[in-house]
Amino acid sequence: MLELTGFSRELVAYGPQLLEGLWKTLILAGSVSLSGLVGGILVFGLTLSHQPMVRRVTDAWVSFFIGMPLLVLLFLVYYGFPQWGIRLSPFEVAFWGFTLNVSAYNARYLTTAYRSLDAAELEAADAQGFGHWQIFLWIILPQVLRLSVPALTNQVILNLKDSSIAFLIQYTEFFAQVQELAAQNFRFFQAYVMAGLVYLGLVSVIVLAARRLEARVILPGLER
Amino acid sequence: MALLEVKGLVKRFGDRTVLKDIDFSLEEGETKVIMGPSGCGKSTLLRCLNRLIDPDEGQILFRGEDVTRVGTDVRLLRQRIGFVFQQFALYRHLTALENVTLALRKLKGLSGREADEKALLELRRMDMETHRAKYPAQLSGGQKQRIAIARALAMDPAVLFFDEPTSALDPEMSREVVALINRLRFEGVTMLCVTHDVFLARYVTAQVIFMDAGEIRAEDAPERLLSGHHDARIREFFGNSGGSDA
Ligand SMILES: Nc1ncnc2c1ncn2[C@@H]1O[C@H](COP(=O)(O)OP(=O)(O)OP(=O)(O)O)[C@@H](O)[C@H]1O
Ligand SMILES: [Mg+2]
Repeated sequence: MLELTGFSRELVAYGPQLLEGLWKTLILAGSVSLSGLVGGILVFGLTLSHQPMVRRVTDAWVSFFIGMPLLVLLFLVYYGFPQWGIRLSPFEVAFWGFTLNVSAYNARYLTTAYRSLDAAELEAADAQGFGHWQIFLWIILPQVLRLSVPALTNQVILNLKDSSIAFLIQYTEFFAQVQELAAQNFRFFQAYVMAGLVYLGLVSVIVLAARRLEARVILPGLER
Repeated sequence: MALLEVKGLVKRFGDRTVLKDIDFSLEEGETKVIMGPSGCGKSTLLRCLNRLIDPDEGQILFRGEDVTRVGTDVRLLRQRIGFVFQQFALYRHLTALENVTLALRKLKGLSGREADEKALLELRRMDMETHRAKYPAQLSGGQKQRIAIARALAMDPAVLFFDEPTSALDPEMSREVVALINRLRFEGVTMLCVTHDVFLARYVTAQVIFMDAGEIRAEDAPERLLSGHHDARIREFFGNSGGSDA
């Protein structure tokens, strides 16, 4: 009990840094969730190109960034690129690394949903005289996005949790600040439990929001 | 001038010739029914005519203009041909009304209000106005098919193509849709209808084109084709079908 009061006093004292870390975590996770969604849609669109070459390159691109461990990618850019004179801030490296990784995954989710679309509907759109990109925009995208809500929101949760690895490239997000706090007073257990609870709380918020979103946009006829 | 005139149409898939030297024509205001055994090339023929599939040889004259020529605006051609499918093929993320308005807005460039007005007119014509806010999943097969017909008619097409419009329907709904097609016929809508439904062919009493193995074997009035035809192959087909689905 005494221990905890001692720890909570330190929490308060260290509060501003923790809050700043939390803020940076939310900024990173939030921005890559957005850029990853936009990037995922673009990449998915390219995988449907009429040009076989474009399709092949895009497929290879997706496979590459899904196969490449995110940490290796971040280290490569952060520690490797300066050799070539390219120096990016920790946030920039994290932002682009995550964006490439997340958009590849999101493109895969959209592709999976695309495979479940009704081929007759797409043929009907062709027969009505719609062009390739019109069909993409008005028939394919509205459906695959709705079908992919569970996968896409799950990716947002992963983005939040994975953002903690950005501390390894000196991005002082929430987990980096928790490490700092723990190292200062050696109360590792309390610090990590506290960190776990904070992530759990944030994830719960995303889960609840995702459920509401899914209920709102679900395709008619697919409701449980 | 015929609305549609097909001359020497040939389509091959690999080394299989699926359409062999098809000739026929369709006048403005006329309705023709295409029948024949499964796999004889009926769907392929329809899809060649609106260039969903590229034919290998022959000509397709649409109001005198050869639409197999390179440089043909196939999207414009397709906008002038309404296509109704066996499986309805409604856009499932859109309401009945939106299914009808999408092409009006995006292809014809109508404003939201103009498109709604036009679509409601067509839905009323199909007796579906009260269902305008429903999604395809909330409609019966017959209702879906009527929405699909409204969607095709809304574009004021020069001709309506049907590919087995009643095959996915139970008998009662199927008769409803047949009655509807018949009504359109008397309104002067030009139609080309692929079907296995002998009832449809008899009821609509349109000229029947009988296809077999990629060829047009006969073209005649239904009462002459459907019973006691001099061609044994045709007699066999309609005999075996027993007057219902082949
Ligand atoms: N894309 C394709 N590639 C290869 N073969 C095809 C293709 N589409 C159709 N075929 C073949 O062409 C032949 C004619 O097919 P089509 O679908 O036109 O027949 P159909 O008369 O409409 O038959 P059904 O009454 O069963 O609908 C069939 O043997 C079919 O297997
Ligand atoms: Mg067919």
